[in-house]
Amino acid sequence: MKKGSILGMALSAGLLVAACGTDDSSGSSGSGSTGDAGSEFDLLEDGKFTWASSGLYKPFNYEEGGELKGFDVEIGYAIAEKLGLEPNPVTTPWETIVQGLVDARFDAIIGSMAITNERAEQVNFSDPYYYSGGMIFVAEGNDDITSVEDLEGKKIGVVATSTYDGVAKEYTDDVQYYNSDVIALNDLPIEGRLDAVITADVVGYEAMAAGLEIKDVGAPLWIERPAIAVNKDNEEFLEAINEALNEIIEDGTYDKISTELFDRNLLDVDIEGIEILE
Amino acid sequence: MPETFYTIVDVFTRTLSGFLDAAVVTLQLTAVGIVLGCLLGLFFALLKLSKSKPLQLIANIYITIIRGTPLIVQIVFLYYGIAEFVTLSNFQAGAIALGVHSGAYIAEIFRGAIQGIDKGQSEASSSLGMTKTQSMRRIIFPQALKRSIPPLGNQFIITLKDSSLVYVIGVAELFSLANREAAQSFKPFETYVVVGLYYLVLVMIFTYLLHLYEKKLDVDKD
Repeated sequence: MKKGSILGMALSAGLLVAACGTDDSSGSSGSGSTGDAGSEFDLLEDGKFTWASSGLYKPFNYEEGGELKGFDVEIGYAIAEKLGLEPNPVTTPWETIVQGLVDARFDAIIGSMAITNERAEQVNFSDPYYYSGGMIFVAEGNDDITSVEDLEGKKIGVVATSTYDGVAKEYTDDVQYYNSDVIALNDLPIEGRLDAVITADVVGYEAMAAGLEIKDVGAPLWIERPAIAVNKDNEEFLEAINEALNEIIEDGTYDKISTELFDRNLLDVDIEGIEILE
Repeated sequence: MPETFYTIVDVFTRTLSGFLDAAVVTLQLTAVGIVLGCLLGLFFALLKLSKSKPLQLIANIYITIIRGTPLIVQIVFLYYGIAEFVTLSNFQAGAIALGVHSGAYIAEIFRGAIQGIDKGQSEASSSLGMTKTQSMRRIIFPQALKRSIPPLGNQFIITLKDSSLVYVIGVAELFSLANREAAQSFKPFETYVVVGLYYLVLVMIFTYLLHLYEKKLDVDKD
């Protein structure tokens, strides 16, 4: 992939002199340990770790008061610190996030992206950094749907290109697409919009805690393993990320982040007997 | 109703600093879009008015393609579609798309304004010994510019509002921030009311500035 052709440079230099770069969602707390570690990896900007999420996935990544927050973001900060890189979280719509990584618009995706075989054809995944369950949610007063079989022919809301998308299609032709799980959940209590939403258990519980009139149905359908996605040609960087991830798990940083947000360690899940999504 | 009013005020104050930053990005996109759009518009209007058939054809192809395809497709095309050949940042792709898009409409505005100037004007200037270029620069163009101010203003407002589409490639402008805010606060009603107000106020400021400029040029009189 060739970048920055003469045309591109002429365009950006000639026409956009005044327009400064504004695609970042300026992270806070710049944990200022910047070494020269950056130069060993092929990064978007030297010494800077730029990673993307949708920013629409509370409590994992969301914006509050002009700052990106949430579990994914905290993990990103912790890894950046271990790598000695300046953290730079950005947001981009979920539907095109893999495309953005392949085009090297950012160095990694830390956005609760679960490992699947299909995605692994396009990008490399780190070790999982948490486990979550795929769960059915319905409006509080809905008694029609009590198990996964009841989804047959119902109108199901999912995020396009999410892991829930394919599953929803197994049960119904009537799939409604969203760019955020949270916005899909918001539609559940509204008369006539949706019968059910399939999303991560933690995301649904967060919405319930925020007062949304919805409820969960049955046990998790499967366990999925969100991991950090990196470009295929950036193997050294993937190794470094795995090492950093291991370090923050071993030195207790991970546990601290997880228990502060969820009162439990998200990696501490009994995955025996439940299907693992691939 | 009063309760809704309070939650709107609450969302407004909580998001103020974020939305102000985002409004700056929206204005930057709009500014680049308008300047680029005017340059392209003038260029292609002149091509279209030229006597040369190939030049006219080039202008027609540009206007047909750009007016015939949705802006959101153009934005995504510039950012993802051509990424392998030209890698633009999301701001650059968005601003250029806005400029190229509005340029096609502005070309037609300029062409209409120039053609609308009475033939007698150019006849009179050539009888005074001016060349074609001189008559265009000194006589026709100043009058045409004055006449195109109202429709141009309209196009500027459209460009400002169209900049919201750039959210699709992840530029942190007003609408993309509104989406994130609505998702995290579980308050879509209040959030979209607030972001609507930002656009409304920006458009009103724009309209007022254009009004001042029109008065200065005395657009009503020829």
